[in-house]
Amino acid sequence: HDLLPDETTSLEDTVDVLFSDNSPGVVGATAVAFNSVCPNCLPLISKHFQRLCETLPDIEEWAQILLIDIILRYVIARHGLVKDSSIFASNLTLKSQGSGDSALIGNETCGTTSTITLFRHYIEEYSECLEGDIINCSSVTSSTNNDVALLLKCTSPLLWSRNSGVILAAASVHWIMAPVDQLNRVVGPILFTLRSSPDATYVMLGNILVFAKTAPQLFAPFYEDFFICTSDPYQTKALKLEILTTIATESSIPAIFEEFQDYIKEPDRRFVADTVAAIALCAQKLPSITTSCLGGLLALVFYESSISDSANFDGEAAVLVQAILSIKAIVRTDPASHEKVIVRLVHSLDKIKEPAARSLIIWIFGEYSSIGNIIPKITPAVLKYLAWSFAAEMLETKLQILNAAAKVIIHSPEEHLEEFKKIMAHVIKLATCDLSYDVRDRARFISRLLPYSTTYLNGNNSSCQSHNEDMFKELANHIFDGKMPSTFHPTNNYRIYLPGSLSQVILHAAPGYAPLPKPQSMELIHKTMEPTRGVGNSSESINSDAESGSSTYDGGSVYDSESEVDGSSDRNAADSNTKDNQEDPLVHVYDASVDQGQTARDVEDNFASLITTDLTELMSKSALETWLDEAPAEPVQVSTQASSARVSFTNRSFERKPKLHMLLDPSNSNGLSVLYAFSSEVSPVSRLLVCVDLLFENVSTNQLADITIKSEEASGSEDGLDQTLQGSASVPTIVLDKEIQLLAPEQTEKMVLQVHFHHHLLPLKLSVLCNGKRHPAKLHPDIAYFVRPLPMDLNAFLCKENQLRGMFEYARRCTFKDHLQKLEHNDDSEEHTDKNLLIAQSLASKILSNANFHLVSMDMPVTFSIEDASGLCWRFSSEILSTSNPCLITILAEGHISEPLDLTAKVNSEDTAFGLNLLNRVVAIIE
Amino acid sequence: MLQCVFLLSDSGEVMVEKQMTAHRVDRGICGWFWDYVLAHAAGDASKVLQVVVSPTHYLFQVYRNGVTFLACTQVEMPPLLAIEFLSRVADVLTDYLGDLNEDIIKDNFVLVYQILDEMMDNGFPLTTEPNILKEMIAPPNIVSKMLNVVTGKSSNLGNKLPDAAASFVPWRTTVVKDASNEVYVNIVEELDACVNREGALVKCEAYGKIQVNSSLPGVPELTLSFSNPTIINDVRFHPCVRFRPWESNQILSFVPPDGQFELMSYRVKKLKTTPIYVKPQLTSDSGNCRVNVMVGIKNDPGKTIDSITVQFRLPPLIASADLTANYGTVDILADQTCFWTIGQIPKDKAPSLSGNLRLEEGLTHLHTFPTFEVKFKIMGVALSGLQIDKLEVKNTPNAPYKGFRAQTQAGRYEVRS
Repeated sequence: HDLLPDETTSLEDTVDVLFSDNSPGVVGATAVAFNSVCPNCLPLISKHFQRLCETLPDIEEWAQILLIDIILRYVIARHGLVKDSSIFASNLTLKSQGSGDSALIGNETCGTTSTITLFRHYIEEYSECLEGDIINCSSVTSSTNNDVALLLKCTSPLLWSRNSGVILAAASVHWIMAPVDQLNRVVGPILFTLRSSPDATYVMLGNILVFAKTAPQLFAPFYEDFFICTSDPYQTKALKLEILTTIATESSIPAIFEEFQDYIKEPDRRFVADTVAAIALCAQKLPSITTSCLGGLLALVFYESSISDSANFDGEAAVLVQAILSIKAIVRTDPASHEKVIVRLVHSLDKIKEPAARSLIIWIFGEYSSIGNIIPKITPAVLKYLAWSFAAEMLETKLQILNAAAKVIIHSPEEHLEEFKKIMAHVIKLATCDLSYDVRDRARFISRLLPYSTTYLNGNNSSCQSHNEDMFKELANHIFDGKMPSTFHPTNNYRIYLPGSLSQVILHAAPGYAPLPKPQSMELIHKTMEPTRGVGNSSESINSDAESGSSTYDGGSVYDSESEVDGSSDRNAADSNTKDNQEDPLVHVYDASVDQGQTARDVEDNFASLITTDLTELMSKSALETWLDEAPAEPVQVSTQASSARVSFTNRSFERKPKLHMLLDPSNSNGLSVLYAFSSEVSPVSRLLVCVDLLFENVSTNQLADITIKSEEASGSEDGLDQTLQGSASVPTIVLDKEIQLLAPEQTEKMVLQVHFHHHLLPLKLSVLCNGKRHPAKLHPDIAYFVRPLPMDLNAFLCKENQLRGMFEYARRCTFKDHLQKLEHNDDSEEHTDKNLLIAQSLASKILSNANFHLVSMDMPVTFSIEDASGLCWRFSSEILSTSNPCLITILAEGHISEPLDLTAKVNSEDTAFGLNLLNRVVAIIE
Repeated sequence: MLQCVFLLSDSGEVMVEKQMTAHRVDRGICGWFWDYVLAHAAGDASKVLQVVVSPTHYLFQVYRNGVTFLACTQVEMPPLLAIEFLSRVADVLTDYLGDLNEDIIKDNFVLVYQILDEMMDNGFPLTTEPNILKEMIAPPNIVSKMLNVVTGKSSNLGNKLPDAAASFVPWRTTVVKDASNEVYVNIVEELDACVNREGALVKCEAYGKIQVNSSLPGVPELTLSFSNPTIINDVRFHPCVRFRPWESNQILSFVPPDGQFELMSYRVKKLKTTPIYVKPQLTSDSGNCRVNVMVGIKNDPGKTIDSITVQFRLPPLIASADLTANYGTVDILADQTCFWTIGQIPKDKAPSLSGNLRLEEGLTHLHTFPTFEVKFKIMGVALSGLQIDKLEVKNTPNAPYKGFRAQTQAGRYEVRS
């Protein structure tokens, strides 16, 4: 396919045929080809769905991964999502888990938001305006829809595959489509992969994390599977910690915490810091364990600070800082009930040397200095200590001391205000003399913001300063009370990709990543394709006499591709608009057009059911580009229509000049001359018979009696009929409407012979009986009369032509010279339109005299060059007698009027052999 | 799909390069990958993640015995397909060459390239079954190597299509010749256990594989049943196993591929006992840490426990270590790994390791504690308790010889101190 990108249509047909093969090996390889050639042709899967599901367990494991994905996309596009699947059930899960779980997933509001989030991430082109239609997207459940049930049933055995890729693909199907109560069967195989496929552990854990965040109760009983081994790589340890945090419950948290306590003694201190962070997350999620968590964390802080004293080890500092960060996160939820923790932290300032840790504790002190009963009592002493140690602190710690002092003053009661002001003044004085720009700037900023701290020094109190003081106090409250929104809060860029995809592992969309198709987007096209499936499944219906003009798909091809349907729909829309503009003039000019108009309106109603917004969603990129390329041609279309209207007027004036052929030469038959010409009449006996007009003439001087015609192949016709698949045993080879009893000299007689030609090209052997004698004769068939006119207007012609492209379209080039003789008789004419019209009429007359076609339109070019005939276009429509399939003929001219014209003749027909033969015949007629 | 497959040595050298699609991948990507290994894993390829994002490609890698299997792609594809395929390549090469290391690959470069050529078609896995591959590419042996050296005309490529190409079961050829009419079933189990710092057995489970070596003529039908299948928690099957008999009756029904293959892997969870105990004891005081580790038999399995080793890393900030054992040998490797080789536990005394660790200056107590990894092997018993009930063989002209064997070894057995 990569070598021949232009042959997509024929390759799609090949894929379609190969999907019907009986060998699982072939079907598996075809799935790979499907993904490469036409991954969006999901309608192609329709007729193969059941067989593909039944064959899936037997297919080779590598192709299973791809085929599972193809089938899943088809089911979603065809039926939509399952109402009781986990995607919807996450609603219930989140409500039962409380708001803590929502926070983990990143949605603060409610479960509905999470559900919509999953939709948006998994499904293609999901838009906000459809949020209200979620219920409509999932009208099926696995118990009411056979396809969904079959999909789940055929993927269940694959959970036992030895290939972890197959297991994850099957688990993804269940994750998206299975009812909630059936999801448990997926968990065991997934977790077993962690042990049995070590190489797959990292990828599998990444997917498990997504599953666990949405449905933690699924994995909660299996927490032991995520206990960490010393030999695990660091990234695996981090993932397991995150999963353990996500799935921890009231019942499992004691065992998990025992594990966490053991982890804290690991030599890998980076991992230990992660464990400490996990403890905080668990405490926030399960409030009942907060007290024991804080106790453990405080003990760890004291222990780590004592270690840091004796050894300068960076890893330990990280653990210490993380422990304090965890305490801070837990305290934030309810500071008043944890003031003892804060007091103990502040007391430990003496022993903690790490600057980052000291900064954190000072921040906590400043933030909660006015909360509770105990903290306010120690505030004066702590503030004095901070002022005393200011000069010896590190930069970040100094900044935090300034902030904390400011917060203390803002919230301080009146009794301590004067004392705090003294301390603040002292600290600011120290800060303004500091070596660091940051500290000096911060000091000046705060001193201007809190002017009353310097008012004490000046001892001045005026009304002007009082006004400024109020404004600055407002500013200070705003800044230090933490009410300002954080500009560094990360935006929610977290995206979830399909489980089992590469994008899910690398956390960005890899080239070629395709979300799931929009639910039920195949509904409309599937309904309209129902008759097509019927046609394809039943060979008898191909011979039906159904009106091909009444429905697009009755005579349509089972190989219609999605792109063609899209193109056809857009073409229909454009043509309908054009037709509306032209309809009134046509009706006004010709009475005969009324029937055509009615037919066109019927076709339009049928097309309208296809022209919906949903169809555009299925449009492939190439179809979109094709449509865009066609758009600029629209103005030409309009002018062409105008020309067509005028040319149609002359339709009736064309003479059909039947061409006579010699069937029997008088010199061989004692004076009986028989000429024949193909007739445009339709046989009343059977559609397989072609009407031939016979002309008998007696050129001798004697009477001829008992003239009749019989078929020489009467005995062989049985075999011939057997060989003809479309034949009927009841159809005779020839049907004669009458016999001639007596033919006098110089007398002529006409007869109609109905003939069944078994071959398009081979002559039919006949015997002419006269006066008891048998004279052999050969009746040569003319394929141009194996069709009959199919009246249709230009719009219908173009729609049908667009459906018969690719392998149903054949073209040949030839030259046309007849117009040169006619032009010589009109040399005196100076009008170029007459010349073009003359050429158009000349060729149309020639075609219609030799073929049983219906002239749809003759388009003449709109050009300023009198001599240029390029753009002349003739369109003829017909249908095959035996099958009633349409045959469309288009002839396009290039060249100058005074020279032989180069013509391109094109035939669109489903019957390949017939189409090619007809094309050759048309070319022969022209030349 | 995959564009290219490289085999890298332990020093980052490109040993084999196989381009899969029309878009050629420059081998400079391997240099980028090795710089990545040096930067993120200190040159230890076994510590690198299986999926790596480079500026130009997405890389998948699998590490085996000092050889890195690297694959490249630029488009979306299932990552587990790539990782499983690379694992399969490693398994097939191990099957062909007997072992997998840098020297063996270099010695058999042509064979490795031929195998890669057959295993993948335009970036998608094609033939991955060892049975089929061996029909197309003959495994190496001394005779063919000698002929190749002397005459230079020998070729190990088969001159006809493998029979399995027409077979309905892709893992078995339609005609198996010279079959010895034997079938052996071997249960290989690994015991995973974790003992926490309190001495409690936190987790204990057995991960087992049932390996079958089949040499049966024709297309035999085998049925394997267990005495106690209910103890099995999780299973994974070879493609030859039929799902319906297992779902209905917990019976394995299959047509085996010829030769050695892994029929099934399973897990038995929540076991209660381990055959041996390891009791570490570390006490530290004023800059010195005293170490004592005792090993003994507990819950005697009835068979000899062999190849016992205890391995742990010395904690950081250790100035010197003085460790001796009353049984076996103690080695301290360059990366501060202590390796105690015990072998078998004698009957008359319990092996114990004792000694002193001197802490760095200024450190009074040990605050990070090592984890002891235990290895052992027991022949003749499956510790999970899984037993084979019977094995039936049909569609063979004669009754074949059947052999059964079981063994257990330590998998991830950790004792925290």
